Amino acid sequence: MKKKDFLALLEEIIEADKDTMTGNEFINDVDGWDSLAVVSFIAMVDENFGVTLPAKKISDANSFQDLIVLLGDKITE
Amino acid sequence: MTTSSVSGIKICGIASAVPESTRSFADGVKVFGEENVAKIAGSTGVQKRHIASSLCASDLCFAAAERLLEEATCNRDSIDALVFVSQTPDYILPATSCSLHHRLNLSKACATFDLNLGCSGYVYGLWVVSNLIASGSVKKALLLAGDTITRLTSPLDRSVALLFGDAGTATLLKKDKNEDIITFVLGTDGAGEDNLIVPAGGFRQPLTESNMKRTGREGGNVRSDAELFMNGAEIFSFTLDVVPSLVKRLLAESDWNVDDVDAFVMHQANRFMLQYLSKRMKLPKDKVVFAMENYGNTSLASIPLAMTTCLADRLKAERLRLLLAGFGVGYSWGGGHLCLVVKCVCLSL
Repeated sequence: MKKKDFLALLEEIIEADKDTMTGNEFINDVDGWDSLAVVSFIAMVDENFGVTLPAKKISDANSFQDLIVLLGDKITE
Repeated sequence: MTTSSVSGIKICGIASAVPESTRSFADGVKVFGEENVAKIAGSTGVQKRHIASSLCASDLCFAAAERLLEEATCNRDSIDALVFVSQTPDYILPATSCSLHHRLNLSKACATFDLNLGCSGYVYGLWVVSNLIASGSVKKALLLAGDTITRLTSPLDRSVALLFGDAGTATLLKKDKNEDIITFVLGTDGAGEDNLIVPAGGFRQPLTESNMKRTGREGGNVRSDAELFMNGAEIFSFTLDVVPSLVKRLLAESDWNVDDVDAFVMHQANRFMLQYLSKRMKLPKDKVVFAMENYGNTSLASIPLAMTTCLADRLKAERLRLLLAGFGVGYSWGGGHLCLVVKCVCLSL
């Protein structure tokens, strides 16, 4: 999946306006990233990549780029 | 996963009881704000919950059992076992099943015991009681399953305050050689113990003045260690790992395919989770029962409560093929497939 499409899915989850995310945002600075968003994110990754991301790895991430890195080569520029 | 099949067990009746007192999701607005509350209700699917206040799970189960025994015109002396499944007993000891035995005026020859399980508890209860009957140890038994989780949740913890409701249920089972096979699939992963837990109040961490104080936690939640902690993300990941395999195994054991099942009755944890799991497992949308809207997550009572509220009319009139699946706290999980026609009733106290 292209990074911009991944970011678009993230924007939907946190209810951000389209094309506003770069991926460099710090997770703690984003209001919409709450426990419900994390669950939606786990579902989104499962549905799109067939991967169940461990919740601990998600909570250890500081930025959205850290989340992108968790998916390795499944996300391309 | 453990697989176990029994035959010759009839479920004669199911009753549920909920407290009259309710809270709507809007009651959370003062603490959490309108936007948050709408978001939570949208995700969990819970609009309203019944709240026990000072009632115990045993009171709710007692009411359900009394009604069940009246409807079944059952001779109380013929009940030779009572199993009470709950995480919210009346006392640390004695077992609440003993107290219920007395209240229900059962015979002194009746064997009773408690079983401490949550989300998987009803399926485990059915498994235990079915096997007691199948082994010949027991001819007729009452399975009482209920919880008052709202009495363990902090009203200032967003992850739980608007989710849980209280309920008690009673199921009457007896030996009947004409009944079909019931198959159970069960499993455990204790590595998940910390993700849904009331840390203080047992013997690992007895209650102290300090652990009973509410303090600020993750995401702005406020609770004490004597109140329920739930890590929603970890639990969701666990369900993605376990539930599809559980359902697949149950279908394989039963020789049913998805279209043969009349209704999938899963633990009513929250709507988002059930919707996603159903989509993942490609279950027909009209066959998955959603019953949490007016009751919340009622822990182990949620499966029988769903049967008595959403399936009562159909279960009374026709033999239905049901697939039950309970999963969560522990982590513990259990599923069963069964064919039954049964009278169900739900009352409000």
